[in-house]
Amino acid sequence: MTAAGASWSPPIPAGRRVGRFDLLVRLVRRPEGAFGVLILAIFAALALAPDFFVGPLQTAVTAHGTRLSPPSAAFPLGTDELRRDMLNLTVHGARVSMAIGLLATLVTVFIGAVVGIVSGFVGGRVDAVLMRITDFFLVIPTFVLALILTPIIRDLVGSGSTEILGIRMTLIVIVIVIGITSWSSSARIIRSQTLSLKERAFVDRARVIGAGSGHIMRRHILPNVINLIVANSVLVFAGAVLTETTLSFVGLGDPFQPSWGQLLEAARSVGAPGLGAWWYFVPPGVCIVLVVFAFTLVGGALDDLLNPKRRGRA
Amino acid sequence: MSGSYLARRFGSALFTIALIVLVNFVLFRALPGSPERVILRGTPNVTPAQLEAARERWGLNDPVFPDQFVAFLGATVSGDLGYSFVARGQTVGQVLAQRIWPTVILFGLGELVAIVLGLALGAYSGWRRGGPVDVVGNGISLILYSTPYFLLGMALLLVFATGLRWFPTFGMLTAGATYPDIWARLGDFVSHLALPLATVGLGLVGQYAIVMRSSIVETLSEDYVTTARGMGLSEGRILRHHALPNALLPTVSLIAINLGYVVAGAITVEVVFNWPGLGTLAVEALTARDYPVLQGVFLLLSVSVVLANLLADLVYGVLDPRVRT
Amino acid sequence: MRSSIRARLAAAAATIGLILAGLSPSLAPVAGAEHLILRAGTDQDIQVLNPWNSVVVADFEVFTLNYDLLVNFGQDLEPVPGFAESWEQDGTTWTFHTRPGMLWSDGEPATSADVVYTFQLILDAVDTDYGCLGQCYLDGYLLNAGVVSVEATDETTVVIETEFENTLLLQSYVPILPEHLWSARTLEEIGNHEGVEPFLNEPPVVGTGPYQAVEFEPGNFVRFARNPNDWRDEQGAPDEIVIQHFGSIDTAVQALKTGEIDYVRGVLADQFTDLADEPDIQTVEGIANGYTELSFNTGGNSEGYGGSTAALSDVAFRDALGYAIDQDALVEATLGGYGAPGTTIIPPFHTRWHVEPDNPRTFDLAEADRRLTAAGYVLDAEGRRLDKSGAPINLRLTWPDSEEENATNAQFIVEWFDGLGIAVDAAVTEEGALIDAVTGPPNGPGDYDIYMWGWVGDPDPTSLLNFFRSEEIGFSSDSFYSNPHYDELFLAQRAESDEATRKGILAEMQNLVYDEAPYIILYYDAELHAYRTDRFGGWTNQPSEGGTPLFGYGSFGYTKLTDLTAVPTAEPSVAAPSAGATPAPSGSGSGTGSTDSTVLIVGIAALVAIIAVGLLAMRRRGTRAEEE
Repeated sequence: MTAAGASWSPPIPAGRRVGRFDLLVRLVRRPEGAFGVLILAIFAALALAPDFFVGPLQTAVTAHGTRLSPPSAAFPLGTDELRRDMLNLTVHGARVSMAIGLLATLVTVFIGAVVGIVSGFVGGRVDAVLMRITDFFLVIPTFVLALILTPIIRDLVGSGSTEILGIRMTLIVIVIVIGITSWSSSARIIRSQTLSLKERAFVDRARVIGAGSGHIMRRHILPNVINLIVANSVLVFAGAVLTETTLSFVGLGDPFQPSWGQLLEAARSVGAPGLGAWWYFVPPGVCIVLVVFAFTLVGGALDDLLNPKRRGRA
Repeated sequence: MSGSYLARRFGSALFTIALIVLVNFVLFRALPGSPERVILRGTPNVTPAQLEAARERWGLNDPVFPDQFVAFLGATVSGDLGYSFVARGQTVGQVLAQRIWPTVILFGLGELVAIVLGLALGAYSGWRRGGPVDVVGNGISLILYSTPYFLLGMALLLVFATGLRWFPTFGMLTAGATYPDIWARLGDFVSHLALPLATVGLGLVGQYAIVMRSSIVETLSEDYVTTARGMGLSEGRILRHHALPNALLPTVSLIAINLGYVVAGAITVEVVFNWPGLGTLAVEALTARDYPVLQGVFLLLSVSVVLANLLADLVYGVLDPRVRT
Repeated sequence: MRSSIRARLAAAAATIGLILAGLSPSLAPVAGAEHLILRAGTDQDIQVLNPWNSVVVADFEVFTLNYDLLVNFGQDLEPVPGFAESWEQDGTTWTFHTRPGMLWSDGEPATSADVVYTFQLILDAVDTDYGCLGQCYLDGYLLNAGVVSVEATDETTVVIETEFENTLLLQSYVPILPEHLWSARTLEEIGNHEGVEPFLNEPPVVGTGPYQAVEFEPGNFVRFARNPNDWRDEQGAPDEIVIQHFGSIDTAVQALKTGEIDYVRGVLADQFTDLADEPDIQTVEGIANGYTELSFNTGGNSEGYGGSTAALSDVAFRDALGYAIDQDALVEATLGGYGAPGTTIIPPFHTRWHVEPDNPRTFDLAEADRRLTAAGYVLDAEGRRLDKSGAPINLRLTWPDSEEENATNAQFIVEWFDGLGIAVDAAVTEEGALIDAVTGPPNGPGDYDIYMWGWVGDPDPTSLLNFFRSEEIGFSSDSFYSNPHYDELFLAQRAESDEATRKGILAEMQNLVYDEAPYIILYYDAELHAYRTDRFGGWTNQPSEGGTPLFGYGSFGYTKLTDLTAVPTAEPSVAAPSAGATPAPSGSGSGTGSTDSTVLIVGIAALVAIIAVGLLAMRRRGTRAEEE
């Protein structure tokens, strides 16, 4: 969904490179940017050190509440059907959801950047083929593809409890699937930026002094599209969180590492909505909405900042 | 519209469809478990003879390329998508056919509602930028955009069906009901449709309003609008005659591109309301690992989206002379 | 995949036709009279009308409404007249008498020839290469009873010869089909065996059952109308029955509360507790005729098996682990307190046959540790449990993705076994791949260590005893248990007609499997159903102890229903939307439910308001800043 969001504002090359720190300062000066950054900072803190805030992830064995009890002093967000503390689960869910979102964004943006830069810089037949494939992924309902791919890839790689970066293989598969299915709009955006950079004088200069294509792409094009990649990543992140949530909701998550989407699925599968057990699905639901909302705000703000045409006009 | 524009659009759509079929073929070969066992799943006491019969029946004894691929291509083109694993004895085509109509209604109407409301809201808030409608509308749009469809659906279901009991909780028609006349049937249908339709509409309206708003803002800053203002044209006239038509174009193409993503939302909304469409079918097929049906859904939805995009491109070509070359 | 051009064109035409048909919704037949409709909801797929393709409980429910079995099941599963009115047994020879003058629902005479046709269909199918009919769930009933030949001696008399003396024939779950319609179809079409056009048995279905399917939307619902030629004296009150599929059981429960449906099968534990307080709703906790088990790969790592350690083949090892499983905790957490802790392989549902083990194990990790050490499985310096070859024991634990609740069991087992120094690698497996993995040699790799799944039985326990026979390795045996004494006992109990003697044999078998522990039965699942009491009365549990009114054994429960909408102004069958369609006193509502949703609504509204206000403030400032 957000992949499309990324294409809402056609990318216009940044006039000059904006320093990282400089960018952050100017971002938080904008009210919607500050609001977004604040929310994200809170969730980032929760995701980085969930144990510090709520202790280790509760399991069916270590849980000590009563079954599906409403919020109380001991359990500010109530408990689930396994007697676990919802606050504990929601905070640990932040870690899982954000980690999957982050990894999926890295994969997505990496593929998008490589395809976009190569396609834009090399041009010709390579460009034609890559753009055809990009268009394919842009237009098909990639979520349905993800639905089919996830179980298949899961069975190909084996779903043992091997962990990568502390994330179980089942969820790594989700990362891979999101990466495969959502890079296309990033590639489009980066390609058009690359196309305009290609015509710049410094690229010609580099070519004259005998630099190879790979060198030019790495040393001259990439640094100049990095801002765009950063702005795009923020929107991709929001989309990745939404996609992960939806995949988990239809039953492709991992109960051993509950993300917010998995919590919602669990809530639905014990019938929490009908039981009026709102504390089971409202916390993860609100978290998802807040995080995606914050990323969208920040993404929009970044886009404005890095987009000279808009900046000039405001 | 020039012939080459048409040809390019059609060529591109055809290429995409070909890729979809290829992806489907590769996926079917990559299914987990040996295919013949997957097919015979749930059958107790499988004998080697049964396994062999299944291999033969599904053409699994032929070389993958070209035999199996050609057979697959021919079958797909002629609409033979194989048999469902779960709906035993039924073809995928039959299973899909029963589910198309509900999805078309729900999403056709949902899109319509969202486009009309979203564009109106977007245009107005873009025009009165910073005004109360813009501030509230844009905020709500952003929140709706950030909310997964199924969450929205669960909330509506809980409040209006379970809580207030204004609407039925599931399905498209009351099962087994008989109706005195067509109006009673229509009424029953509408009351079932209301909540899922509201979910789809609300889910989309945010996106469309955001797109339209930024498009209008962009257009209003163009030189010709400034010129028009200078000529003393009324704001309303500028909006209707200059800004709107120009802002609509990019919005239309974005809506078309967005279709693929809308479909993702479709799936979960249908599940929440037990709406008997392709989305519910996809999730049921996923749960039961009914891969032929899952791939059928993918093929059907993908091809529909490609065709819708083609249509949008053609409309775009008619509306905007610049793209006709 | 391979088909002739013509077949393909036909398929294409059929597909297009169906799509067009789908696009023009047909008007349901207009009702003259007011119909009393019973609506029953299930989360199982409603996919087949051809009984031979039946797999799930809902499929069986559908065909037993359409058709009679040769002998039906009474309230306590005793044999009662079905297609046959009476019967007698003389050693291995059975004689069944059908009702003179009985008619199929289309008015054709229903005779002994129909019984011969149906049974012969199975016997013929068994003789083919394919070995069975359709999904192969029904032929076993005749095979287990040792049926050799079926013959009609006159219009109303059928003589059946069996290989050995037994009474399993009276428990055969085989629908008697109308020969005059079905004989036009080939075995292949009926069994959906080869690439031929399959026979779907589309409505209107013709049978002798109390209700006949008249409308079918696969994956959605089946609607039945009363059989005009029903032979039963006692007929149910509903004029029509709808069996409705629900994608989520939560939706079904909501629909039950609002009165849109009358019955739900498969209610979840917490909903069940919640429903108990609802007005006009009755909950019923049945015992499932089955269990969920932890199965060991008793083949271990021997030739032909893929287990990770030889310890799996050791009775002492499995027995010790039995002390490390707290069945009560699993019942509490996974089943929400419904159901019962598991012990032996014949569930308590079979009140006549179930026995508790003579030497029960209790949850005691210290005891498990002591037994493991005594059996030679010692801990190394790092606290890891070693097998007899000196390698650390790491067990792979899995379960099918279709049974997600096992993930909860897995969380417990991982921690319990971890406490014994046994690392458990737990992960779900796609169902199809899992069936592949747990099939033993020569048909499969037998590649797993421990896994969880369940079985569901028949009115007779024989089918539940089958999985532990040596000859089932490679077929339905997933533990690969092999014990010649057990095999002998199996044959002996099957042929035994004296109840007390048979019970003795069954008790020995149950204890044998319990002690040698190829399976550790985790729990006996509960059948949680709920129904409305304001429209229909006469709900009767079948069996009376541990049973449920519907989705039991045949059409019995439906025929007992009575009409409670006594006032003749029963609502016109729907038209009006939503709750208005039912006589449910919507005003009463549910006390707790409505407060909860009020809290929720207020909560959501508050949240939206907060975000909106924050946004508004920010936007205002933002605009001002931009305007400067």
